[in-house]
Amino acid sequence: MKKQTEARVITFTSEAEMPMMPASMASTLYNKTGSWRYMRPLYVNKTPPCNAACPAGEDIVMYLQLTAQGRYAEAWETIVRENPFPGVCGRVCPHPCESECNREHLGGAIAIHCQERFLADYAAAHDLGLPMPDVPQRGEHVAVVGAGPAGLSCAYHLRRMGYQVTVFDAGDKPGGMMRLIPEYRLPKEVLEREIAAIVATGVEVKTGVRLGVDVSLDDLKDYAAVFLAVGQSRSRRLGVPGEEATGVLPGIDFLARVARGQRVGLGEKVAVIGGGNTAMDAARTARRLGADVTIFYRRSRAEMPAIDEEVNEALDEGVRIEFLRAPVAVLTENGHVRGLRLTEMELGAPDESGRRRPLPVAGSEYEVACDTVIPALGQVADLSFLDAEVKSERGRIITDEKAATTRPPIFAGGDVATGFGTVTAAVGSGKRAALAIDCFLRGVERTFPDLAQNVQAAPRPHDAAVVRFEDLNTAYFEEEPRPRQEQRPAAERVTTFEEVNLGYGEDAALAEAQRCFSCGTCNECDNCLIFCPDVAVLRGPSDDEPFVFNYDYCKGCGICVSECPRHAISFEEEVKFAET
Amino acid sequence: MRKPKTYARNYEIPEEELTYSGSVSCPGCGATLAMRYALKALGPKTMVVIPACCWSIIAGPFPYSSLTVPIFHTAFETAGAVSSGIRAALDILGKEDITVMAWAGDGGTFDIGIQALSAAVERNEDFIYVCYDNEAYMNTGIQRSSATPWMAWTTTTPVKHPKDEPKKDIMAIMAAHYIPYTATATIAYPDDMIAKFRKAKSIHGAKFIHVLSPCPPGWKSEASDSIKLSRLAVQSKVFPLYEIEHGEKVTINVWPKDGGVPVSEYLRLQGRFRHLSDENIAAIQAEVDRNWERLVAKAKGSVYTELV
Amino acid sequence: MKKVVTGNYAVSWGARLARAQVIAAYPITPQTSIIEKLATFCADGEMEARFIKVESEHSAMAACIGASAAGARAFTATSGQGLLLMHEVVHWAAGARLPIVMGVVNRAIGPGWNIWTDQNDTLSQRDTGWLQFYCETNQEVLDTTIQAVKIAETVFLPAMVVLDAFLLSHTSEPVDIPDQAEVDAFLPPYRPELKLDLDDPRAFGALVLPSDYMEMRYKIQKAMERAVGVAEAVDHEWGERFGRSWGLVERYRLDDAEIALVTSGTVTGTSRVVVDELRDKGLKIGLLKVRMFRPFPHEKVRQALAGIEKVAVIDRNISFGDSGVFAQEVRAALYRADKRPPVFDFVTGLGGRDIVPATIREIVDYTVAHDAPVEEFTWIGVKK
Repeated sequence: MKKQTEARVITFTSEAEMPMMPASMASTLYNKTGSWRYMRPLYVNKTPPCNAACPAGEDIVMYLQLTAQGRYAEAWETIVRENPFPGVCGRVCPHPCESECNREHLGGAIAIHCQERFLADYAAAHDLGLPMPDVPQRGEHVAVVGAGPAGLSCAYHLRRMGYQVTVFDAGDKPGGMMRLIPEYRLPKEVLEREIAAIVATGVEVKTGVRLGVDVSLDDLKDYAAVFLAVGQSRSRRLGVPGEEATGVLPGIDFLARVARGQRVGLGEKVAVIGGGNTAMDAARTARRLGADVTIFYRRSRAEMPAIDEEVNEALDEGVRIEFLRAPVAVLTENGHVRGLRLTEMELGAPDESGRRRPLPVAGSEYEVACDTVIPALGQVADLSFLDAEVKSERGRIITDEKAATTRPPIFAGGDVATGFGTVTAAVGSGKRAALAIDCFLRGVERTFPDLAQNVQAAPRPHDAAVVRFEDLNTAYFEEEPRPRQEQRPAAERVTTFEEVNLGYGEDAALAEAQRCFSCGTCNECDNCLIFCPDVAVLRGPSDDEPFVFNYDYCKGCGICVSECPRHAISFEEEVKFAET
Repeated sequence: MRKPKTYARNYEIPEEELTYSGSVSCPGCGATLAMRYALKALGPKTMVVIPACCWSIIAGPFPYSSLTVPIFHTAFETAGAVSSGIRAALDILGKEDITVMAWAGDGGTFDIGIQALSAAVERNEDFIYVCYDNEAYMNTGIQRSSATPWMAWTTTTPVKHPKDEPKKDIMAIMAAHYIPYTATATIAYPDDMIAKFRKAKSIHGAKFIHVLSPCPPGWKSEASDSIKLSRLAVQSKVFPLYEIEHGEKVTINVWPKDGGVPVSEYLRLQGRFRHLSDENIAAIQAEVDRNWERLVAKAKGSVYTELV
Repeated sequence: MKKVVTGNYAVSWGARLARAQVIAAYPITPQTSIIEKLATFCADGEMEARFIKVESEHSAMAACIGASAAGARAFTATSGQGLLLMHEVVHWAAGARLPIVMGVVNRAIGPGWNIWTDQNDTLSQRDTGWLQFYCETNQEVLDTTIQAVKIAETVFLPAMVVLDAFLLSHTSEPVDIPDQAEVDAFLPPYRPELKLDLDDPRAFGALVLPSDYMEMRYKIQKAMERAVGVAEAVDHEWGERFGRSWGLVERYRLDDAEIALVTSGTVTGTSRVVVDELRDKGLKIGLLKVRMFRPFPHEKVRQALAGIEKVAVIDRNISFGDSGVFAQEVRAALYRADKRPPVFDFVTGLGGRDIVPATIREIVDYTVAHDAPVEEFTWIGVKK
C-alpha cells in the first residue's frame, strides 16, 4: 500500500477480494471527518492596535514583520505606500501606536518610532526612491494648496493613482510647519530628502504663491479638484498688556527664524508660555542659543499636551518649568520686554477638552524678570481667502469624512480642517483626501471612516476587530525589555543642534522587530500546522495564503484557534456556512 | 521560497506527514497528535506495534490505515513481546535499520502490559516503547487505571468515591531497569518531543517514552484546550519534562517559566477534577511540589559517568 | 545420521533442521529440555536464530507472532499451564495467519499440580485455528516438526506438534536425523504473502466490522480444509525423500477387523502390542491412529472405519460434562457414514497414570462384552 493522496472507499462484494487476514488496503482518507465539525476555523487577520492607532494609517505590523526578517527595503516600501514621510514621522510623531501596543504588558511597547526611523534612514543610506505603482496616467489635474505634510501627502497619493498635481505654497520652500521643527529633532536633510522624493514622483510645486493674495479660489476652478491644506499659520495671542513690545516673539516665528538660519537675539532670560510641543521646541532651541529658559504653563504636568519625552528632554537640558502659572502682563521698559507679571493658577472643573479648567488664584500675582517672552499657545488658521460657499466653523474648514468641503470639488484637510496638530495626522488627512478625490473624479462610491479613524491606501484584507492583549496566547511570548535608544548626553545637547535621539542600529531594530507580537497578523509561526492532530492544516499555495484548512478532515477541535499566538484565526459556527 | 520563520517558535519539525487525515480520533485528541510528532521524528523506516488502546481504533478499521508505515495490531498486554519478536525478525533478516515502536496507552503500559514491557526492557530489546498516557481506560469509556491521578473522576471512580491512590510512577519503574533512555514528553512541546524521539532512535537498546496525552472526553475538557492542558501540566510541574539515561542521569528538559503556575490552573480546566475541594487542591499542590523537588534533587545529584 | 535422542531433543532437532529464525520460549516442565537444547544450538552457532528468553508463555507466543509477522520463521514450545496462559495469543496467531510452529508436550492441568501427560492442554486449544499433530514416537516427532513448518507455511496457519510428557519427551529412542541439505531441499525459506514491509506498509489486524468479519473466519476454515490435502502431500513428499511417511491417520490391521481401537499419541504403541496379541488369539481387531487432529480428517476416519462393527476410542482427556474429546470427533465423523457402528469411549490415563497392555485389554473386553455403549463413556482405572 503506497502512500496515498486520494480518498478511496473499499466495499467488498466477495470474500475473494479480501486479504486472508485483516490487512489494510487504503488510507483513512476515505473518512471525511469534516462532517463532524460544528465550529469552523478560518484564517482572518485582525486589526493590530498599532495599525488602528496610527493617524497615517501605516501597516505597522507588516513592516515590523518584514524588518524582523531583515527585509528592510520591503518594510520601508510598506510604510511609504501609506506615508511618504517615515523619516519625519519616525522622529517627530507622538506615536499613539506605541500607547496602544500590546507588548506594553510584557516588557514595554515596541519602539515603533525607532523602527520607522531606522527604515527611513536605511532607505536614505541605500538611496531608495519612492516606488510608484504601474498605473495608467490620468488626464485630470488636481491643485493642492499648501505644501505641508497634508498637502504633500495628498499630492503623493494622487500621483500614485496617476493624477497630475500642482502644489502651491506661500513659503519659499515646500514643507510647511515641518520646516519649523528644530534640527535636533529633525535634521533638515531628512526632511529635504523626503520632500524631494515626493517631488520626484512628478508633483509640480509652486512656491511663493499665497492663496488669497497671489491666487484666489476661483483662479483654481480649472482644476478637476482642489485640496486646501494651508495649515494653521498664525500664532494664538497672549491677550495681555505689553504683548506688542519688542522681545515678545511668537514660538513659530522664533522657530522659523532659527530654521532659516537667522540670528535671533534673546538676551539672557527667556520665558516661554505654553505647554505644547511648540513651547518645548522653543524652549529647547532657546537653551541651545545660550539662554536661561523657563516655561510657564497654566495647568499641571498631567495636562501638558507636549510629548512626554520632549518634556523630559527639555528638563534634562536645564529648561525649568513652572506649572500653574499664567501671564497677566508683559512688563516693558522702553518698549522692550523686561519681565512678566504672572498669576498662580488652580484647577477647577473640567472644560470641554476634558481637562480641568485653570483658574487664577486671587492675590497671587508676582513678577519675574526676563529678556524675551515666547508665547507658544498654539496656532490658528488664516481663513481670509475663503469665500462664502466654503464654510468654516471655529477657525476650521468644515469637511465630511470624505474631506469634501461644502463647495465641491474643493476638498480640505490637515490642520486647517482637522486641527489635529501632528505631522502624522496631516499625512493621514492628505491621503484620505487623495483617495476621496479619486473616488469623486471616477464617480466611485466608497465609504470612509469618520475623521477620528485612519484610512489606508493599500489595506491588506483584515477584520476590523482590534486585537487586545487578552486575545493573544501569551504562552508563546517571553517578557522582554525594549532596547534603549541611544541619546546624546544632555550636557552636550545644549551646545549643538545635532540630533538628540540617535535611533536604532540594525541589531536593535532587528531584535525589536522580532519582539513584536504581530497582533492579529499571521506571520507563519506554524503553530496551527504543528498542533493540528488531524493533518487538516496544509501549507498554502503562496506567501499571501501561507496555510489552508482542509475542511474535508478538519474536525473543528479549535486547537489551532487557541494556539494561534496572535489571534489570526477565527472560529465560527458551521451553520453560517451551510448555504455555501 | 518560503519566508524565513522568525517568531515565537522556531520549530525543527520535518515537513513530511506520516499520518493520514480521516482517523476517527475524537476532536482535540492528544494521542493522535503525539503519533504525528513521533513518526515525523522517526521517519518512514518505522514499524508500529499497537496493543488494545484508543489507537487500535484511531489507526483505522479494516481495510484502512491512518499511518503510512506498517502497523501490527495486537493483544492488550503484548506490546513489549510482539515488538521484541519483530525486532528479532528484522535483525535476523538483516533489517537492523528499521525502528520498532510500541505504541500503547496507559492501561496497556501501567497495568496489563507491564509484565511484557518490563521483560522486554530488561532484555534491553532495541526498540522504543511509547506510552501515550491519557490517564484512564479511555477507549472503553473512561475507567480508572493505575495511571489515573489521585482524586480524579472516572466511571469506576465516581465523584462520591474518586480515586484514592496516587498515579503509579512508571518513569521510576522504567528507570529501575537501567535502560539506556527513559523520557517524558507531551504534545505542547513538539520540539522537545521530537528531539527525544530522535535521540531514542539513535540509541541502541530499550527506550521508554512517557507521553502525556490530554483526552477531551475523558478529562472533560474543551477540545481546543488540549495543547493548553499539556502546557499547563508541564508549567504546573504535574508532568515535568525530563529524561533519565541509564537509569541514573536525570536531566530536566523544560523548566517551568517564572517558577511555574499553581496546579489549580491545570486542574480547573478539567471536569474530572471539578469536585475537588480547596483542601484536595492544596494536597495535590503539596504532592506536586514534593515530587518536583525530588526530581530537581535527582537532576542535580546525577552521578552517572559514561562507562568506557 | 542416527542418534539416540529424547522426544524433546527430537523437537529441538526438528526446529534446527527447519531453520527456525526466531525462537521465543519460556521454561516449563516437561518442555524445558527442548528449549535448553535450542539455546545451546543458538549459543554454539549451530542455528542462525535469535532466541528471545521471554518472561512468560504469553509473551513467547506474542514474540513469535511479531517475528512471524515480520517475515521470520518462528518457533516455540510449551506445555500444560503454559499453553493455557498463551491461549489468547494462540488465537491471535491463527487469526493473523502466521505459520508459527510450536512443540507442545502434553501435560495435565492443575490443580493439583501435575507434570505428567494428558491431552487436555492441547485439546482445549481445539478451536483456535491451529493445526494439531499427535505423535507416537520420537522419530515421528522430528519428522512432524519439519513437516508442520511446510504445511503451516503453505496454508498460513500455525501448527502444534504434540508429544506425551515423559513417555516421549524424556524417553530416548534412536532417531534418524536427516541431513540439513536434504531438509533444505524439502523445505524452502519462508516466503509470506503478506508481512510487515516498509515497501508495502499495511496495518495488520485492525478492527473488523461485522460486515467483513465472517469472511475472515471463512478463510481460516477454508485454509484448514485445504490443509488436509496439503498435509497428505507433504507427508507423501517426505516419504519419498526420507523413506518414512506417517499418514494423517494410520490404519493398523483394520482390513478385516470387526473392532477398531482409535488412539492417539503413545497409547498407540501400547495398543499395537495388544492388537497383535489379540489377533493371535483370533479376535478380529485393528487400530486407527489419529495423527492429525486439526483439521480433523473426517473422510479418512470414515473410510478407515467403514465396515467396522464396533469402535472403541481411547481418550487420555476429558471434556467435563460430556466425554472424551477424540470420541466426540469420531462420532461426529461417523454420523455421515452409510453405516454407523456403535462408538465406545474410554477415558483413561489422565494426569500421567500409566496405560499398560492390561488397560487396553480391559477396554477390548468391555467392547466385546457389550453390543452397544450403556453410558456416554466409560472410565477405565478409576478407583471406585
